[in-house]
Amino acid sequence: MTPSFHESYEVVVVGAGHAGCEAAMATARMGLRTALVTLNLDLIAQMSCNPAVGGIAKGHLVREVDALGGIMGEVTDAVGIMFRLLNTSRGPAVWSPRAQCDKKQYRIKMRQVLEGERNLMIKQAEVVDLVIEDGQVRAVALRDGRVVAAQAVVITTGTFLNGLIHCGEQTYPAGRSGEPPSVMLGEKLRNLGLRCGRLKTGTPPRLDARSIDWSRFEVQPGDPEPTPFSFRTEKIERDQVVCHIAFTTEETHRVLRENIHRSPLYSGQISGVGPRYCPSIEDKIVKFPDKARHQIFLEPEGLDTNEIYVNGMSTSMPIDVQAAMVRSVPGLERAEMIRPGYAIEYDSVDATELAPTLEVKRIRRLFLAGQINGTSGYEEAACQGIMAGINAGCAIKGLPPVILDRTQGYTGILIDDLINKGTNEPYRMFTSRAEFRLQLRIDNADQRLTPIGRRVGLIGDDAWQRFCAKQERMARVRQFLNASALAQRLKRPEVTIEQLAPELREKLGIEVKMLELKAIETEIKYAGYLAQQQKHIEQLKKAESRRIPESFAFHGLPGLSREVVEKLERVRPLTLGQAGRIPGITPAALSIINVYLDLPARRGLMADG
Amino acid sequence: MSPEDTIVAISTPPGRGGLGILRLSGTDACLVAAKLLRSIPPWEPWRASLGELVDDEGHTLDQVVVTYFARPRSYTAEDVVEISCHGSPIVLRHAVERALRCGARLAEPGEFTLRAFLNGRIDLAQAEAVRDLIESTTLYQARVAAQQADGAVSRRLAPLKSQLLELVALLEAGIDFAEDDVSIAPDAELLRRLEPIAAGVEQLARSFQFGKLVSSGLTLAILGRPNVGKSSLFNRLLEQERAIVTEIPGTTRDLVSETCSIHGIPVKLVDTAGIRSTADRVESLGVQKSYEALADSDLTLVVVDASQPLEPLDEEVLARTQALGRRLLVANKCDLPTVTELPGAMPVSAVTGEGIDRLRQAIYDAAVPHLEGEETGFITSLRHEQLLREALAALDRAREAIHARIPHEMLMLDLYSALRAVDTITGATTVEDILDKIFSTFCIGK
Repeated sequence: MTPSFHESYEVVVVGAGHAGCEAAMATARMGLRTALVTLNLDLIAQMSCNPAVGGIAKGHLVREVDALGGIMGEVTDAVGIMFRLLNTSRGPAVWSPRAQCDKKQYRIKMRQVLEGERNLMIKQAEVVDLVIEDGQVRAVALRDGRVVAAQAVVITTGTFLNGLIHCGEQTYPAGRSGEPPSVMLGEKLRNLGLRCGRLKTGTPPRLDARSIDWSRFEVQPGDPEPTPFSFRTEKIERDQVVCHIAFTTEETHRVLRENIHRSPLYSGQISGVGPRYCPSIEDKIVKFPDKARHQIFLEPEGLDTNEIYVNGMSTSMPIDVQAAMVRSVPGLERAEMIRPGYAIEYDSVDATELAPTLEVKRIRRLFLAGQINGTSGYEEAACQGIMAGINAGCAIKGLPPVILDRTQGYTGILIDDLINKGTNEPYRMFTSRAEFRLQLRIDNADQRLTPIGRRVGLIGDDAWQRFCAKQERMARVRQFLNASALAQRLKRPEVTIEQLAPELREKLGIEVKMLELKAIETEIKYAGYLAQQQKHIEQLKKAESRRIPESFAFHGLPGLSREVVEKLERVRPLTLGQAGRIPGITPAALSIINVYLDLPARRGLMADG
Repeated sequence: MSPEDTIVAISTPPGRGGLGILRLSGTDACLVAAKLLRSIPPWEPWRASLGELVDDEGHTLDQVVVTYFARPRSYTAEDVVEISCHGSPIVLRHAVERALRCGARLAEPGEFTLRAFLNGRIDLAQAEAVRDLIESTTLYQARVAAQQADGAVSRRLAPLKSQLLELVALLEAGIDFAEDDVSIAPDAELLRRLEPIAAGVEQLARSFQFGKLVSSGLTLAILGRPNVGKSSLFNRLLEQERAIVTEIPGTTRDLVSETCSIHGIPVKLVDTAGIRSTADRVESLGVQKSYEALADSDLTLVVVDASQPLEPLDEEVLARTQALGRRLLVANKCDLPTVTELPGAMPVSAVTGEGIDRLRQAIYDAAVPHLEGEETGFITSLRHEQLLREALAALDRAREAIHARIPHEMLMLDLYSALRAVDTITGATTVEDILDKIFSTFCIGK
């Protein structure tokens, strides 16, 4: 240990949100001494916005994090209070789990899991500076004066970098409501010359359950048979709560319209770009003036609290307008607001500054994950966290990096999108972002990713055996179906696997989960579509296998315009496939690069410089 | 070599012409041009000015017109200088050589257009159209190519692509925002939306039948027994617009063929005139040759002599062409007293020119398939036709999939296939385009 350092770890993770927890857990499980530094020990894994994990495409991400050996899935299974499998009216490729969680229990459970990991130390402190020497991060400086050495640093600061909260005309610096922002670290990152952006997100008001007339709403129950998030959770046996569905009225819209000039969104007070898929209620009224009513969901924030989250009513209106707006909803006439909604602006880093490992390209061993990279959502944060953790660990251990491609998972798609395109609004995952959606299912996330998690040391022996047993079980079912006439029968539109299940059980003598059976059914029934997709996957793999050497000079290629060269130089794609995904790179430019990849003259040129 | 290097080329056709244009494009276009000329930049952009082309010793070679197009408002979106000379191949070549010595590089074939495309000035369809413009042989072809260069095909495809995108967005929204207030589109609605897209794509694909005529023309055989006036008719039809007729090499020894333009469509006339001298001796052989020409042609003009009674050979020609369908009957020599009244035959006189305009119109009408919609926006490229057929096949598969109640995430593969084919003509659709459509159509946001 260098004497100028007060403490020394192999990895320091800054921020203990959904990205930070996964990152720290991953490096610790890889056997590296890890410090997880957070501003407030009591708010680890705080769900800053809605009290739910998962949702369409987001549920896929959680399954992938879990398959890699992450912890979000198990924690959700442990504290979920209402589970639903979404999109079941379609094929299994787009089924996705969602769970309402007990917010407080989520924090407690996560902290418990982290504290159970012997290589992991949780520290309450504010990181204010990074020590960088020879293009590599060496340590972090804490506000209290300590300097903590690290071989790798993962920054996961969420909305805290220069956070600014807006609530009507009132604004104040904050990382979350009631918590101070992280200003000095934000300044540091800007001073390092990283391109930054300013994003905005919002949250709705919370109400007191006792002041709500529950008889006025439609009840939304959970599934009778909850679908767990984790491959390692056998069954969820907990009483579930319900959510309620309410609707705005003409009166709600009138209140908002008449006060629109007081919204910081419309008064010009907010400059950050907000997410289009999660607009504030005032945005919805303005952009869809013909829609007579908007759906809102009343979701409990936990079992031992009266706090109710009003999903769909995100707003930055002044508090008096928020109160009037809430009370215009039938059933909420006497509702008491516990916390008002607000909008928050924060700094993000342009993710095109990052390599596919989430390492900052120009500062070795410095990794960024989560909302700081321009994403939104707990799940989007978690999947980056685990990948940043894995790659920080691999870098320290001298192992090759782990880069997931677009055919391997939503996680790969998310990172590939971010590092190639950056984002100008908070990035959320959608299944439509996946070109190969049919192959990226929640039931096969383990097949795609668990071997990788096992290789890097995140999958323990128990979990690995369970995984192998499942693969064997599925192989037996497939084999049986194909050997018998059942596979042929299953191809007929009117025949479903449910009809065949009893026969399977009897003949094979094993219990196979319905989710697994549905996956096999899809493989057989829609073999043609899957084959079609497989063809495209192979095309992509071919483009991905055309590697562009790091020394390859884009400038000087005849026929490439200066703008194209600038874009290529900024991202420095590693493969021809990646180059093609950079916005503004035309097929013509690609074929030029493709030609020059093969030219010996070019190789000679590269050897020179 | 750098991407901004300056390229030079003679942009007018090779050979001696009235004008020869030297074109420079790139960062140093002005610098290089200045060295070729006795005229000092900066030139006022987009304004033609007189200049003198000089050689290495500074001797004047030619008086020229210089036009400077400042980037990005130029053909390539780079700095462009055009030097319009008096078309002497030697002078032009000398100027190019000097430009090369002054730091320019000889442009690859099509590189100006490639640069325009790479710089985002034109889309793929436009780039292809420019190539066609350069290769076009009739004025009408040039006009069509010019329209396409202006994006006519892309424009015609744009509403179809937009509808397809809306359909994709509708289905994607149903999948990705099932939690929101987005209802799943019923099958009938999907079919209703699919219908006009498929119809539009098919119509555009079909327009290739016409586009093909415009770009490659049609072959017209003139058939009839000797002495009905086929040759005169042949010459009469060639008379107008002869100036843009090109000699087609490889004419067979026995058949005379020449290309003329009828309402802008290149028409290759095939005449049996060449075998007339031997026709007396081997009449039947001559007729045989004519029938062979007929087999290769798109349309047949069957000529009879209206001033004479029909001969057995006339009857035979009429009988043998009857089944073919694509024939026009012409009663020649209508300037003489009429002896034969052939039903459906068009009276013309190759000698006086009477009825020739009507005949030209009839040829056009018979050759050109009925076109719904405007004449612009038809396709002339075989590649575009194939892509549109591909899109159509994918749309058909999607329709079947809807009928078979295939889950939406599967049938979307077919819709994306169709979109990809269309994209190949017009430029790529990105996920952002689809998301934009979703967020502007549906109020998303739980």
